[in-house]
Amino acid sequence: MNKKTIAAFAGSLLGAALLAAPAHAQNVRIGLLGGISGPIAAMAPSMLDASRLAIAQVNEQGGILKGGKLEIVVGDSACNPQNATDAATKAVNIDRVIATVGPHCSGAVLAAANSVTVPAGVLLVTPSGTSPEITKLNDKDLVFRTVSSDDYQGRALARTLKARGTTKVAVAYLNNDYGKGLAEAFRAEFEAGGGVIAGYSGHEDGKASYRSDLAQLARGGADTLVLFDYGDGTGLTILRQALENGFFKTYIGADGMKSEAVIKSIGAQNLTTFFSSAPVGEASAALDLFRKAFSAAGGNPDAIFTTTSYDAAFLVALAIEKAGGDKAKLSQALREVASAPGEPVLPGEWAKAKKLIAEGKDIDYKGAAGDHEFDQAGDVPGAYAFFKVSGDTYEAISEMK
Amino acid sequence: MTLLDFLNFYLVPGIVLGAIYAVGAIGITLVFGILRFAHFAHGDMTTLGAFVALALVGTGMNPWAALPLAMIITAAIAIGVDRTFYDYLAKRPKIVTVMASLGVALMLRSVVQVVWGVDPTTYASGIVRPNDYFGILLRPRELYTLGAVALIVVGLELFLRRSKWGKAMRAMSDNPDLARLSGVDNRKVTMLTWAIVGALCAAAGFMLGINTEVHSMMGWHLLLPMFAAAILGGVGRVQGAVLGGLVVGVAEELSVFILPAQYKAATAFALLLLILLVRPRGLLNGKVL
Repeated sequence: MNKKTIAAFAGSLLGAALLAAPAHAQNVRIGLLGGISGPIAAMAPSMLDASRLAIAQVNEQGGILKGGKLEIVVGDSACNPQNATDAATKAVNIDRVIATVGPHCSGAVLAAANSVTVPAGVLLVTPSGTSPEITKLNDKDLVFRTVSSDDYQGRALARTLKARGTTKVAVAYLNNDYGKGLAEAFRAEFEAGGGVIAGYSGHEDGKASYRSDLAQLARGGADTLVLFDYGDGTGLTILRQALENGFFKTYIGADGMKSEAVIKSIGAQNLTTFFSSAPVGEASAALDLFRKAFSAAGGNPDAIFTTTSYDAAFLVALAIEKAGGDKAKLSQALREVASAPGEPVLPGEWAKAKKLIAEGKDIDYKGAAGDHEFDQAGDVPGAYAFFKVSGDTYEAISEMK
Repeated sequence: MTLLDFLNFYLVPGIVLGAIYAVGAIGITLVFGILRFAHFAHGDMTTLGAFVALALVGTGMNPWAALPLAMIITAAIAIGVDRTFYDYLAKRPKIVTVMASLGVALMLRSVVQVVWGVDPTTYASGIVRPNDYFGILLRPRELYTLGAVALIVVGLELFLRRSKWGKAMRAMSDNPDLARLSGVDNRKVTMLTWAIVGALCAAAGFMLGINTEVHSMMGWHLLLPMFAAAILGGVGRVQGAVLGGLVVGVAEELSVFILPAQYKAATAFALLLLILLVRPRGLLNGKVL
């Protein structure tokens, strides 16, 4: 065989492979973007595992579309806009994903959505991007979240503090989309309820000392510090320096501060006056199903954002099934599978959902974190609880209204 | 605000922070002065040093006892990095080495992340409330930090002024060709420089870690203030780096009086720009960049 024949032979083989490809190409790829490194690194593994559980269930119970598998491509969005853009670009342009679960952090979501996924027409569902800014995105209905906006959380936290008798607080927030969004919502509600904000300042990530910032905040005379930051990042440094110097008596954090790293490095005995709010799944059959499955898979269902991460991945899978793998129909399909009316589908019930969709019936996913009735902007309302430190972990002490 | 509040919450943290910047800045200034390139891997080498110390503390050592050992290990690593990456590029234009150091930075950080993970951790769990010295609040670790920095600076200064090898390093900083003609072995001096730089990195990383937390991005965040300190003091001058470190540290902490706190990180940058505009040789007359 001379070179030409070999080339022709190879060419025809390649051509045949390409022609034959669509018949087997039932596999669908989705991106799983998370803050694997960076300030939420301690939270990310559980969240990714919860999403992986949903994908594993899909593949075990008949796979996606006509016998295909749902494949995941994991990317590190590192909780910052640059890495998120890089990770999303790679997922969309190289791995050709048709939807992404994540990124995790608000700033990362905004950057990835604005510069990559929305222009490419890729569906993005974040399990933990909570900034109110995400609501305002001009997203062609392609950005959704299974966690509620911090506008709700900030306001609920303000009402909870008022109810606990706190009338004067200082607020320190991380100067990014997450921290700022929370702080603004909190301040509006707290002041509307007659509370006094005796200090209000942002700070940058990654400095070694925040004692002068804290001293400035403490000058307002408040004995409660509300800290909107990440417990795996600067939030830990600030909390430590505030505790060591006794700047405040009580410390309140939001979901980002509810990290095991805080307890591990500061010690539970020093955290008796530290409280945090965090979204919780409302008790439901769906939540029980998820908890059982995730525990069986070796995960900790109490870890933060695991329910929303699971739901985000499961919803994306349902939407792909509903849309028949058509990227253009994904967001419409997502709304259909998530919203009432329809036959209820609970976490893990992939086989049932697949059958119903095949029969052309409308379904309504009831997730571990809630019902996920998306509003116009792709947001969901949420439920929150107020946590204290107990032993090596956090314990809910009250619901937040 | 009372004077004591000012000292305790603004000045003392600034000085402690500045002392840590100073140790890092000395390393930068030595590389710049003797080897003549901006070493961007300095921050991540600092991180590595902090984690080496963490590994030693993990075996049950007292953190401060682990420090000298961590300095020696990191010194060996620094020599290894030079032999593997920079030495190979020595004949090429310096900008190539500068860019290579950026690559080394990413590699070192990845090694740390692979070996120790990305969660923040500490040398000792729990919090330490300060002791009261006539109204000045200081923690033992802050006293030790300041003491260790003083020891390092005085020791290094003596070494550079008095010892044969120290003089050789200064000679090479002034004029490498002339130094070689006078019988200074450039290769050995380079090795010695890297050993000192590695040890200083470990010291800076350890002291930052013991005063805050140990995490994989800690050194990278230090890079800008350390460079600002080195340039502010005058490149190539050890005393300049110390002075620059203290000025940057104190300026960052005091900046909250006049600027919103979110601009604290920009203070080092603003100082750097100002000194380059007004006095490019630095406060103590270093080399011109």
